Amino acid sequence: MSRDLVLEARELELEYRTREGRVRSLDSASLTVRAGEITALVGESGSGKSTLGMAAGRLLAGNAEHVGGSLEVAGVSVFACTDERLRALRRATLGFVFQNPVAALDPTMRVARQMELVGILGAEATRALEEVGLRDISRVLRAYPHELSGGMAARVGIAMALGRDPRLLIADEPTAAVDATLREQILELLVERCREHGCALLLLTHDLHAVAHHCTQIAVMYGGRVVEDGPTGEVLAAPLHPYTRALLSALPGEERPGERLESIRGVPPVLRGPSPGCAFSPRCPHVMEHCPHVRPLHAPVEESRAVCCHLFTGELGARAGVPEAAGLAGSAVSSRPADDRPKEAR
Amino acid sequence: MSAARIPRAARVRRSRLPFRGDLLSRIAVVLLVVFALVAVLGPLLPLGDPQAINVGPRLSGPSGEFLAGTDSLGRSLLPRLAQGLRTTFLLAGVAVLLTAAVSVVLGMVAAYFGGVVGELIARTADVFFAFPAILLAILVVTVSGPGIVGAVVAIALICSPMMIRVVRAAALSVVGRDFVTAARVGGARPWRILFVHVLPNVAGAAIVQGTYALSVGILLESALSFLGLGVQPPEASLGSLVHEGAVYLSIAPWLVLIPGVLLALVIMSVNLLGDGLRDRLDVRAVEVRR
Repeated sequence: MSRDLVLEARELELEYRTREGRVRSLDSASLTVRAGEITALVGESGSGKSTLGMAAGRLLAGNAEHVGGSLEVAGVSVFACTDERLRALRRATLGFVFQNPVAALDPTMRVARQMELVGILGAEATRALEEVGLRDISRVLRAYPHELSGGMAARVGIAMALGRDPRLLIADEPTAAVDATLREQILELLVERCREHGCALLLLTHDLHAVAHHCTQIAVMYGGRVVEDGPTGEVLAAPLHPYTRALLSALPGEERPGERLESIRGVPPVLRGPSPGCAFSPRCPHVMEHCPHVRPLHAPVEESRAVCCHLFTGELGARAGVPEAAGLAGSAVSSRPADDRPKEAR
Repeated sequence: MSAARIPRAARVRRSRLPFRGDLLSRIAVVLLVVFALVAVLGPLLPLGDPQAINVGPRLSGPSGEFLAGTDSLGRSLLPRLAQGLRTTFLLAGVAVLLTAAVSVVLGMVAAYFGGVVGELIARTADVFFAFPAILLAILVVTVSGPGIVGAVVAIALICSPMMIRVVRAAALSVVGRDFVTAARVGGARPWRILFVHVLPNVAGAAIVQGTYALSVGILLESALSFLGLGVQPPEASLGSLVHEGAVYLSIAPWLVLIPGVLLALVIMSVNLLGDGLRDRLDVRAVEVRR
């Protein structure tokens, strides 16, 4: 593993044991995050992005089970190391920012005490809070979490996560529970702080607009796999995977008046075991005969992108180059009647 | 000027007493303080010797000389009541502290670690919970022999299962919350998470449950002493006083009535205090505000 990777998941497989049997949450997910990089991990609820995020610190629920593949954080194999090593890794390398900023703080402790407990003392605490744009620091330090507003709590959360200078910050929908007017501010702050600290950010989100604005890399998850990843600009400008394309066309903002906003029909799969083929095939407008039966490879396309789709890889062999691949996709589109009727559906 | 001063004075006066706007809890607090003072200061009060016999006529009713009457050995009942209160409070209190210490740790461990350990603790608690209390107490006392130690262990064993369940339930809702995950990311060890983060969050529930355990403990202690399995004569507890007086119920009813009413008042006060604390500590939201 190369030096500057802070997170590398290779064909990671994770399952949850539930009363109704096993649920496969990660089905051979591969993802890399380089040091200091701002990476977005997008996907529907249930696509496995939170599982992947929490797996980075082995912070999964008790019924989660590592089935296969590897996950390394800063060169340490998370699922193979001892508890003591893991504790050191979490402490030195990882930071988390949570969805609900108030719930991320202990309701029974003043902010100063909480910061002290994670090792941010005295003047350092003041500086950390100043950095996240808080004023009236002494009052904030003396406050209990319920005395803070949502935005303030979010800032305190970011200050606490970054105060220990982690190398990888994982933010699980950090703006989902915050007032809409604060969303942009908080995200901006998070990205800016991470850049300044040279800390890599893995941003788990639904918000593609924010991704386009802030993140350098994007990884799209579906059915427990990373189906497409690459530089944000390239992926969003020319999405290859049919799911990414569907996701983008379901995005409000680009449509003209009178045009119907397209939704992705069907529901995401709940996997009981390894998906026999491509998990997206039941909803895919370009589905081919072998799609439901043959697993597509997570294969590089172009220099910096990778995609997991038979349209580009699989039995046709690895096809490099977007124009050619896009051409293939185009021909697949025209040959499928399914593709011609999404707009008038419903 | 004066308009500003009046509300301020009112605020100060109101905040002095606990349980503002909760008359029952206030009465309970006052009663408990009086009982506790009697229990603690009992031997120092000029009530007489609880164990001196033939200080007056036998089985005489309450009078100017013997405010609570005398018993069959001519002992004054008043100092015996003070001693009984003292014994009952002490026994039940020690037992409840023991219960709280054990149950809080077990409940938190069961919730935090879950899995086999958690199930084992929770199910064992369930088994004890299902066991008839008095039967369990008699069993313990049979093993340990009648006396104070047996009574304390029996009370702790009977009160613990409920408390373990309550603490575990409260802790379960805490251990999954983000600030616990954040503490784990911060590299905190399990014991630190339990005692620094989980304990303060379940303390409210534990305190309220503790007051209920105290009333159960007092009742059990009395029951055991009434059965002759707790405090041994000539020591007195409220239960043993009822036991001693029961023989003379028809000719000297005050021997049963006075300790009985006292016992009821103590238990009622403890329960009312528990209700007041529950309202104050907002246990359902598992959030302690100070």
